[in-house]
Amino acid sequence: MNFLNKIIFFYYREYKLNMSGIQDILTNIIFFFISIFIFIFSIGPDKETISLIGVGILWTLLLLSSTLSLRKFYQDDFENGNLLIIHLNGFSFGFISILKTFSHFLFVQVPFLLSIPIACILLNIANDKLFYLFASFSIGSLILSCLGSISSSMNLMNQRNFLLGSVIVMIFSVPVIIFSVGIINMEESFNSLINILFGILLIVFAINPWASGLCLKLSLENN
Amino acid sequence: MLIVKDLSIERLDKKIFENINLSLTPGNITILKGKNGSGKTTLLKAILNLLEPSFGSIYWKGKLLKKNLYDFYNHVTYIGDTTSSLRKLTIKDNINIWKKFFISNINDAQIETALKTLKLDNYLNKKVGTLSFGETKKLEFLRLIIENKKVWILDEPLSNLDEDSIELMKQTFEDHCSKEGSIIFSSHQNPGIYVTEEIQL
Repeated sequence: MNFLNKIIFFYYREYKLNMSGIQDILTNIIFFFISIFIFIFSIGPDKETISLIGVGILWTLLLLSSTLSLRKFYQDDFENGNLLIIHLNGFSFGFISILKTFSHFLFVQVPFLLSIPIACILLNIANDKLFYLFASFSIGSLILSCLGSISSSMNLMNQRNFLLGSVIVMIFSVPVIIFSVGIINMEESFNSLINILFGILLIVFAINPWASGLCLKLSLENN
Repeated sequence: MLIVKDLSIERLDKKIFENINLSLTPGNITILKGKNGSGKTTLLKAILNLLEPSFGSIYWKGKLLKKNLYDFYNHVTYIGDTTSSLRKLTIKDNINIWKKFFISNINDAQIETALKTLKLDNYLNKKVGTLSFGETKKLEFLRLIIENKKVWILDEPLSNLDEDSIELMKQTFEDHCSKEGSIIFSSHQNPGIYVTEEIQL
């Protein structure tokens, strides 16, 4: 029971932290929408073209916007010693990475999820595709959070080059983009593609605590 | 309770320290003394099982620390050289988070008394980021009272504190030891605190 309470209050702490820095979340959302506007202006007024490549644009921008928030994933807690205190409070490093991944999903990815309907109007994406977009993004964003956790924990060991971690996320997110965009463009194969996406989620979800936990331990060891 | 036996640590083929022996029993205060870079923080990290010793072993309640790690963590509060209070939040928010996260049984009256003693009671609604370094450090000590654990491991707790605060810390240390608590702390200077064991690094 105590352990469950600790988990609940870990998320209370994350909520308080994220609410005190809500401008960071809003900046990400604003970046997302401004980028959509730039795409629309650069493509021109042809509705058909925008509609055709809209889903691709949406996913690319979601990936870039969530990459922006990766710097904060572990960095603050690492620098002020909270990562160690959380560990001393009974959480293994692997478990901390799972908790932080869900926290990233809740406080960074879910606001994007909620802003998808507005983005769909701007990009002229048909209403009937909204369900597929939500389904693919719900799973895809959790995959991106897991990859983000791995790359951010690696960044703690390599403080001089933040881009390296982001590049890793970009490379490994290629299959996520392929299958997620595929779900929307090939609705008849929805079940098989969502299963593949779910399979990728299970793989990264299994690797994440192991890889991130090790990187967190090593970075604290060498700090 | 805590026994460190023949502990040696090497990093990047460089010997940091060797053959350290230490025994911490209830009511004891151990000081780790040494110059900057002598390995005080490294030894504390090894005791917290964050570093693998090159030689020697650490025991907690008669068992190897690694095999009894989470029981050890349940009894230890660590204050490092960084300030763990969240700078974007107020003192009140930080206290609330600590109280809940550490499932503390300390009541509000006790916290209020501690805040008054630390002279932080007037800043309750101030963000931690706006406090001075000394005040932030004092707030850090409040975690010792909130966590209410038996073993305190403190890295340079007295640096950047004024004379009054150092005197207060001395009293706090004595109170803790009289309640069967024990303390290991590092210092590069002579703090003038009565200690039961001194380790020179």
